[in-house]
Amino acid sequence: MTQFVQNLIDGLGNGSTYALLAVGVSMLFGVMHLVNFAHGELLTIGAYVIYGMRSNDISWWATIPVAILSAVMLSMLIEFVAFRRVRTASAFTLLLTSFAIEILSHAAWRIGVSSTPRRYEAPDIAFKVVEIGPFNIEVWDVVSIAVAVACFVGTAIMLRTTMFGLSIRAASEDFDAARLMGVKANRVISGAFAFAGLLAGIAGAIWLVRRGQADPRMGAEPLLKAVIAAIIGGLGSLPGAVVGGLSLGIAEVYFRSWLPSDLQGLTDSFVFVVIAILFVVRPQGLFNVASAERV
Amino acid sequence: MANTTTATAVPAARTRSVSRSQLRSIALPSLLANWVLLGLLFAVGLLYASGGSSARDLLISDLLINLVLVLGFHIFIGNTGVLSFGHLGIASVAAYTMALLAVPSDRKTVLIPNAPWGIPEIELSPLVASLIGIGVGIVVAALLGLVAARTSGLAATMITLAFLSIVRQVAENRKDLTGGAQNLSSVPRLEGWSWPLFGAFLAVLVAVFFRSSKTGRLAVATREDELAAGAMGIEVFTPRLVAFVVSGGLVAFGGILRVQSLGSIGPSQFSFEFTILILAMLVVGGMRTVTGAIAGTVFITVGKEVTRFLGDGPDFLGFTWPVVDGLPDLFLAGSLLAVLLTRPNGLLGEFDLGGWAMRRFRRSAPAAPASVPDEMAAPVAPQQATGGELVTSGLGVVFGGFTAVDDVSITVAPGRIHGLIGPNGAGKTTFVNLLTGLVDPTTGTVHLGGKELSGAPYTRARDGVARTFQNLRVFPSLSVRENVAVADLVAHDHRSHRVGVSVDELLALSGLTHMADRSAATLDYGNQRRLEIARAAALRPDFLLLDEPTSGMSSSESLEMVDHVRRVATAIGAGVLVIDHDLGFITNICEHITVLDQGAVLAEGTAEEIQRDPRVIEAYLGSGHA
Repeated sequence: MTQFVQNLIDGLGNGSTYALLAVGVSMLFGVMHLVNFAHGELLTIGAYVIYGMRSNDISWWATIPVAILSAVMLSMLIEFVAFRRVRTASAFTLLLTSFAIEILSHAAWRIGVSSTPRRYEAPDIAFKVVEIGPFNIEVWDVVSIAVAVACFVGTAIMLRTTMFGLSIRAASEDFDAARLMGVKANRVISGAFAFAGLLAGIAGAIWLVRRGQADPRMGAEPLLKAVIAAIIGGLGSLPGAVVGGLSLGIAEVYFRSWLPSDLQGLTDSFVFVVIAILFVVRPQGLFNVASAERV
Repeated sequence: MANTTTATAVPAARTRSVSRSQLRSIALPSLLANWVLLGLLFAVGLLYASGGSSARDLLISDLLINLVLVLGFHIFIGNTGVLSFGHLGIASVAAYTMALLAVPSDRKTVLIPNAPWGIPEIELSPLVASLIGIGVGIVVAALLGLVAARTSGLAATMITLAFLSIVRQVAENRKDLTGGAQNLSSVPRLEGWSWPLFGAFLAVLVAVFFRSSKTGRLAVATREDELAAGAMGIEVFTPRLVAFVVSGGLVAFGGILRVQSLGSIGPSQFSFEFTILILAMLVVGGMRTVTGAIAGTVFITVGKEVTRFLGDGPDFLGFTWPVVDGLPDLFLAGSLLAVLLTRPNGLLGEFDLGGWAMRRFRRSAPAAPASVPDEMAAPVAPQQATGGELVTSGLGVVFGGFTAVDDVSITVAPGRIHGLIGPNGAGKTTFVNLLTGLVDPTTGTVHLGGKELSGAPYTRARDGVARTFQNLRVFPSLSVRENVAVADLVAHDHRSHRVGVSVDELLALSGLTHMADRSAATLDYGNQRRLEIARAAALRPDFLLLDEPTSGMSSSESLEMVDHVRRVATAIGAGVLVIDHDLGFITNICEHITVLDQGAVLAEGTAEEIQRDPRVIEAYLGSGHA
């Protein structure tokens, strides 16, 4: 039982990072039917900003907001330079464009900085453990979960009460109709990229404080997890993305503690097989409603 | 006019032979032209290699092997338009199979002593092991294809991506079988470039013939427009599965060649990064043609070679360049992104050397006498309408709480032109979608000649209902002739009991003969409409369903359309159900009219009855005019 609760807390800690990324991925899918594999690069830029500022002894309090801001800026830049041009293109072109940006970013960091990892020291709070009864609670897990919950609540309020939130929801429902109702396509898409970038920046900050290093390809793996989470939840559904991210985080921890050691390396494969089956059985995901093409 | 001329029926066999000879006339020039291109490239490569080190020899065989892989990708991705990341996973499985069977027994007892199934004792010749490897690759491709071809678009991409990572993880973790991250070395190596060269020529052959085969043409139609393909009786699954298997087999061959040229195999060899490299080669040149695939492969290979040279910090052009790590990757990603953003169809687009050579040849040759006179003058024998009535009984559908179509029962007699009219939002298009199977009905049935129509749209098209779409859905990048010929192809298999009108005659009847070689997307609006009708007619349907054929047309164009629809319907002996909101057009063309309002039948009768019906006048003009 103790182990069970312990795993749950660990899983929610990991899962909140996935969920924050997944909400961004899902939101972008909603407004422009794009699965943005370049989204993970927003973590990478945050890591290099942290590395750059921390190696100049700038306080963490100043570093983290700048890291988050850099993710927002990069997200909007990617939209402006690349995705705006292919907005109406086929899913094929969109998907391949996002992969091309991902590879381009990897190459740029390799050339601009180095292909070997750059290390920075994590702050004390990152690995601080508090014993509460029988549980060893990592303080940073609690911070992660709290920040993530605050973000989800904030997102929900934003979507329901602001004009921008209404535009996003309308565009996800039916982009053409939303445009006819006066929603400005460029503005809503650019805003969605900025908002998704903000969530990715926050997710990055949570993750990077502990990680202690920046390297060119670091964004790929968490992003893949986030995409899987968004698919589990049904692409385009934001509550689905949260549930998908958290359940993926928890599932990973349990897989790792239950699988025999010679199958440990196959954790991801098990997840993939489950996802593949899910895709065949329920292509619309667990929560989302399928949207029909108009004839 | 044409429909008054009587002549003997056109024998169905004639159209079949046209189709066959057309196939040969497309495939052979394309094959020869691309082979010549490949031979020239190889000659240039040999010249380059003769002046340098053995690294240049390696570059040539690398290029040729990559070409096999790129053409393998092209067969599925280029022809179906579905992005797959899983093909190198197939290559990996095939290459491992080959390596496990072909590595000498004494090496295997050292490298993988605990391998199951007595693998350490087996030692086959490289050729036999390769054939078995390709066979295993084809089986794996078939299994993966069963899943990937069933889903479409994004789902297929994600599943194949997952497959690629699974293969890699299994290869890394089954250390007893693969040696894990440590490469399995001592794979018998290929000498020289003769096998890669053979592989490249074979790959061009397979790709060209697949593209011009029946399956290939059907697959391309589904790429162009999945919905319209379904409405033409084309099933999506089978052509995509076959394309996946053929391309998987070729990629398996390429993977085996690569491992044999390197002499070792490891889990990271067929990686995601390598997949992106092959995809970039495919997309940059133009994924839809063999020439495009060759051009892209050469462009990326040469570009990477140049950037690698520059990145190594050479003394070049008078000064020493800085050492830059990752320059080839930057080039790769940069050129892929630039092409996607500016020319998403690739640098060459639809250009194929074979087609180009043919057009050049034809233009310089003395003008051949046109086999069929152009324009509407073509005397086409009117066909007797056969088959039974098209009957809907109690057809209705509810979306959420909204009843879009409510209890509609109509009967269209064979060979008759029946109009369905109603104001915007009356449920006309939804009714057509119900008839053709795009929307599942909540209530009611559809029968054609006593047979119930149910199931997917493609089965209903094969049963004799061919439709056009309100918002034009021609196959945009196919030629005008190919648009019609694809439907004709389906008709040969599923509508052979009906006497057809040949593709050429349909084109002439639609006034499209002189633009038959242009891509359909370049046609103006009215011609695209006529092309859609010609394509539907080529299916030899019992009934043509025309969804707003005059939408967006002027009244004089609409009048021409009246004649045109009559002429086509008479020529193929089909009944017509025409949907429109233009009262003038419908009363002009139809003997019998049904009026829909708010999803239900408001009135029914002859044109005159309808025009006098007060309820119709009220629905159309408001109560003040009643």
